[in-house]
Amino acid sequence: MSTVTLKNLVKDYPNGFRAITDLSLHLDDGEFLVLVGPSGCGKSTALRMIAGLEDITSGDLYVGDRRLNDVAPKDRDMAMVFQNYALYPQMTVAENIAFPLKLRRVPKAERTAQVRHAAEILELTEQLDKKPAHLSGGQRQRVAMGRAIVRHPALFLMDEPLSNLDAKLRVQMRADIAGIQRELGVTTFYVTHDQVEAMTMGDRVAVIKDGVLQQVDTPESIYGSPDNVFVAAFIGSPSMNLFEASLTGNDERGGGYSLVLGDHRLAVPAEVVADRPALASYEGRPVVVGIRPEHLEDASVAPDHPDDQRLDATVDVREALGAETLVHFNLNAQSVDSGDPDALDELRDTGRCTARFSASSPARVGDRIRVNVDGRRLHFFDRQTHLAIRDRAHGAEQ
Amino acid sequence: MQLSRPSVRPSRIALHAIMILLVVWSVTPFVWTAQTSIKFTRDVASKTPVLWGYETTANAYRNFWLDSDDLNMWGVLAFILVVAAAATALGLIGRRARHGWPWFLGATAVICVALWRFPRIWEANDEYDFLVNSVVVTILTMVISLSIGLLAGYGLARYTGISGAVILIVALGFRALPRTAFVLPYFFGAKEIDDWLTSTGVGSWNFPLIDFPGVDTLQILDTRLAIVLALVAVNQPFTIWMLRSFFIEVPKEMEEAAMMDGATRLQAFRKVIIPIMWPAIIATGLFTMLLAYNEYLFVRVLAPTEWTLPVAIVSLTGGESSRTITEAAAASVSITLPIVIVIILFQKHLVRGLGAGAVKG
Repeated sequence: MSTVTLKNLVKDYPNGFRAITDLSLHLDDGEFLVLVGPSGCGKSTALRMIAGLEDITSGDLYVGDRRLNDVAPKDRDMAMVFQNYALYPQMTVAENIAFPLKLRRVPKAERTAQVRHAAEILELTEQLDKKPAHLSGGQRQRVAMGRAIVRHPALFLMDEPLSNLDAKLRVQMRADIAGIQRELGVTTFYVTHDQVEAMTMGDRVAVIKDGVLQQVDTPESIYGSPDNVFVAAFIGSPSMNLFEASLTGNDERGGGYSLVLGDHRLAVPAEVVADRPALASYEGRPVVVGIRPEHLEDASVAPDHPDDQRLDATVDVREALGAETLVHFNLNAQSVDSGDPDALDELRDTGRCTARFSASSPARVGDRIRVNVDGRRLHFFDRQTHLAIRDRAHGAEQ
Repeated sequence: MQLSRPSVRPSRIALHAIMILLVVWSVTPFVWTAQTSIKFTRDVASKTPVLWGYETTANAYRNFWLDSDDLNMWGVLAFILVVAAAATALGLIGRRARHGWPWFLGATAVICVALWRFPRIWEANDEYDFLVNSVVVTILTMVISLSIGLLAGYGLARYTGISGAVILIVALGFRALPRTAFVLPYFFGAKEIDDWLTSTGVGSWNFPLIDFPGVDTLQILDTRLAIVLALVAVNQPFTIWMLRSFFIEVPKEMEEAAMMDGATRLQAFRKVIIPIMWPAIIATGLFTMLLAYNEYLFVRVLAPTEWTLPVAIVSLTGGESSRTITEAAAASVSITLPIVIVIILFQKHLVRGLGAGAVKG
């Protein structure tokens, strides 16, 4: 039983900086949880607290029923993969992988067999006699994995293990690590700043910002219904477009609501309001509205679309990616700062909007285009609290 | 790797000229000394220097080291060569072996046995005791300095609090003070302790476990211990700073990974950090060795009769007799050659520093 429970973990540094505030999480046996957040958000600190490399200021850490707060790292039965791999340079690959077993006084014959087995899983058999200095980045990464899996620990801890690899290798290793984890069934706590890794690898994703947990859920739920503006903007690439807008009633058109977005006016479909009972109370009040780029489409590609869910815009930038085309235009609306410290400052407050059009879109730079907005996929957030507007139980009132 | 380009020829010639000049500049005194050591007194004393074509002799070496006037020195030379070759071979194997420790210990053992046997084969002079003193003082100083320096350097590299910075700066201050500022306080301090040992009678107690042969009374002044203690003290700032700078280069993740793998902090230090640090340890050890081996002032003041070789040599250079000049030259050459061999053996480690690659991604 290696469930992991974090109860109100707090980390204060001696200089008074609070790196982690009340972090509570639960990992089921065999679960792959990804903790994702921008740089400096405390995610590595959280991992190091679980590992025992940082003291826990307050709160409790349990693996199974065992409280581990004051247990030395070596006795926690966890294996960790470091961002820089931390391979032992004076040892060969085989010795690196065997090191944890050697410390546990596993007999030599068994050690050799285990190392062989791990090397086979990781396709390192050819490299066993080499020193880490003679390996490629991907191979080093796999050796670090080997050192972790050879001991069958209760918990894997991974601290941005892919961030030192080039993009192609990263895609491959992403799948490999997820595959190995599933095969071994070891509970895994994985830290990354890369939301793509979070989305593709995790059974569940935990988003953290400034040491405060924002949302924990399956990748689909995190993406489909983010709890607040930060999560909405952080997950997904390109980011969700977030604007200040206001909600007005549509009495002259026979009920329903409209969204005033800069110079534009969009009808809000009735089912959207029905799904979010709390939205009605925002009539006449400012809100933050979020639109994912893929929910915008060139009207000339998809002409069958209600006319009151369209925007007029002029194309500023066009990026043809082959399978799709990213089109940037200005909406003359106030953009909302999601609070992501990694976001580019220059792009804030510009009213800039990104759309993901089909590759067949004829839009060119400077063209005046009409943009279909998938009104059912709009996201609404409170202007003050930045929390999602859903219903009383979940969202704005929380 | 092709670094030279034909277009920069004149500057390269100048560069080589300067380098050759520097080599000549630094090697000439040693060559001169070596020549002097194998000349007859008449050639040394002649008004026009005899640079070549002179008759050679090992008299100076014999007179300095041995209590004999007509011994054939070829046997002694053969003995020394065999010992040196054996120790060098062991050292070379140790440098290539995966675990160098036993081989280096073996080389040390060979040298120790040779030092112990030598005066039993040939009749040695007092100077031979000074050689033994030199070896003992050097090895002890190295071992103690490195042990303290490794632990302190590691601690100070990993702990970045204010008290660590204070210790480092104070250490640097001690390093900056002139050697002469320490020697008298050490002398008086040691004298106070000796006086206390004598007046209370503690010095003449019989301690069952530390009954060294030839040591009747416990004292500090005029012992090898005094020299070792003083040298360790003055050398510690250097070892701490030097080793700390190497420790800083070793990522913290190394020992963290070891601890996650199931090691205690001490195991992580011993099994992961120390092996990475080998080049640094050897480099620091060599510098410490040179310091202890060449020390004059402390030995002269703290050990009025328990000399080491530098003091013995200096005692020969005061007079005007050309006989002592050849002896001093012979002594200089004798104490230089072992060091040259050690440096040649380990110079790769001096230059190499830390192997990069595996540490960084």
